Amino acid sequence: MSGAAARLERDPYLPQRGRIVEKSALTARETYFRLELEHPLGHGPGQFVMVTVFGVGESAISITCGPHGEAWIELVVRRAGSVTGVLHGLEVGAIVGVRGPFGHGFDLEEFRGRDLLLVAGGLGLVPMRSLILSVMAEPGHFGRMTLIAGARTPAETLFRDELEAWRERADTQIIETVDRTEHQPWDGRVGLVTEPIPRLELDAAKTRVALIGPPVMYKFVLLELATHHAIPAESIFVDLERRMRCGIGKCGHCQINQLYCCRDGPVFRYAELTRYPEALR
Amino acid sequence: MSSFLASRSQLRSWTRAVAGRCELIGPRREGLSNWNYGPLADGEELLPEGYRPSVVPPGRLMAPDQEVLFEFRRDAEGGIEFVPAAAKGERILFGVRPCDLRAIAQMDAVHAEPPADPHYAANRARTRVIGVDCLRPCDERAFCAATGSLQQREGADLFLTPSDDGYLVEALTEAGRTLAAEAGWPACPDAAARRERAEASRPQPFGRALGAAPEALPEILRRSYDSPVWAEYAERCFSCGTCNLVCPTCYCFEVCDELALDGRSGARLRTWDGCMVPDFAVVAGGHNFRPGCAERQRHRVKRKFEYLTERHGLGSFCVGCGRCGRQCTTGIDILDMVNAIVAAEVPA
Repeated sequence: MSGAAARLERDPYLPQRGRIVEKSALTARETYFRLELEHPLGHGPGQFVMVTVFGVGESAISITCGPHGEAWIELVVRRAGSVTGVLHGLEVGAIVGVRGPFGHGFDLEEFRGRDLLLVAGGLGLVPMRSLILSVMAEPGHFGRMTLIAGARTPAETLFRDELEAWRERADTQIIETVDRTEHQPWDGRVGLVTEPIPRLELDAAKTRVALIGPPVMYKFVLLELATHHAIPAESIFVDLERRMRCGIGKCGHCQINQLYCCRDGPVFRYAELTRYPEALR
Repeated sequence: MSSFLASRSQLRSWTRAVAGRCELIGPRREGLSNWNYGPLADGEELLPEGYRPSVVPPGRLMAPDQEVLFEFRRDAEGGIEFVPAAAKGERILFGVRPCDLRAIAQMDAVHAEPPADPHYAANRARTRVIGVDCLRPCDERAFCAATGSLQQREGADLFLTPSDDGYLVEALTEAGRTLAAEAGWPACPDAAARRERAEASRPQPFGRALGAAPEALPEILRRSYDSPVWAEYAERCFSCGTCNLVCPTCYCFEVCDELALDGRSGARLRTWDGCMVPDFAVVAGGHNFRPGCAERQRHRVKRKFEYLTERHGLGSFCVGCGRCGRQCTTGIDILDMVNAIVAAEVPA
């Protein structure tokens, strides 16, 4: 058993130490962190960690790097509350706590040999990047990849340099869109992430879909997919956000009817959610 | 032999001896009419008349409010050291009624589901539970017979049944047999007959009735997802969360850090939380996934009678203790709500 597994076995509430080794502001609200850990996480795409600022508290944060067996992770944190606010003020060298990885992420087996349609709204691009990097780490094992990345304004777009680089790859289509430009320079599309969907050329039987975004996004993207492409619900995967406090299905905050988002999800097959009215409300 | 007879004075001298070597916790009157579990002082009556379910259920001692999950200290180089919590001693939890035994057995299963909660497990392992049977309903709110908890024995190490002037004591676990052997009570030759006589003395019906069998409720609740009954009850609900805090099978918690005044050391705590509180399902950025009081009531009821019941298969997770209705400011009683759902669902 690895050190991390032994630790998790011992006390799932005790974090390991993570040292901030890189930090850069991506937008006015989002900051990128690279942490060096004591033990490898061994995470998969779509999983999350609980990050501690000692003395302030703990927040659930998506992992944005692809899977690897080494003792570091990349996170992108939006400043939204006290923990993330203090985290943004920490400097390189500071120690934070990391628990996890938690939850069921994307099962790459579902995506291998398929075309991929990935729709990321806002901060949804952060966990989506872990899936995209997983796909790119296995050239030739996946079909065509289409990414629709939406942000509210040009100033809120994330990973633009990487999107540029991904655009150069064969079999990859990147559609960037912003809800409104607010007079900022912008060379991409203007409109919601739903708007490019009708004109996409998709092989419904061969396509697997991943959706990550704010709660309001899912319903409308699913509606567009149902209206214009006959992609079965079995082929669509959604990554859901809920309040998470423990990560192990105990604290009760993330419950979606009888599901625990932190343990049964956060990635769910859409076909399996139809019985849970709280899932996509 | 695992059945014994103990007179009231024998029981009292045993608990006095036990209290000398470990913590003894039992039901105590607080104020005029409330009860709570706390340390029993020498000479305090063990099982006084007039007991009603404690405000806070005894099982909550296994995951107390403000429990320390770990302590930390910042060293001179800015690193973090963890300070393991000190191990706590054995304790005896005396006078736990069948409804609360049912809840403890269910909470054992919930916290043991992988990954297991080591803090609950440690508290549970250091607690010997002495159950006591109810031969009459504690008050007009109880519906333990309807939820199937009145027959509960599992969860107790020793189980007491009032019998003649004393108690039939049954040892249900190895720890219970050890306690009984230490106590030196005489063996009981006719335990089964005494148990039968005690149970036959119970009034019928025993407490209030559910409008449907507990096994039928998950399906009824699924069909009643959009029932107007939820909103009727929500209308007079303050969303204060008292029903959650006094429920023996509510265990939701919030996590927070407390920093010492030196600014270098502190502790991570978990505090009790409840799904009836308006911000329970709010995420960063402010979106509330369960904003309406009616849907929070529905969630609470479905958790008790459907979600946890189906997940763990240990009967109704509402144990029928009546605490939520007893403590609610506006008298919202989960039994009334469920019966209203059943009545609205099945036309007479």
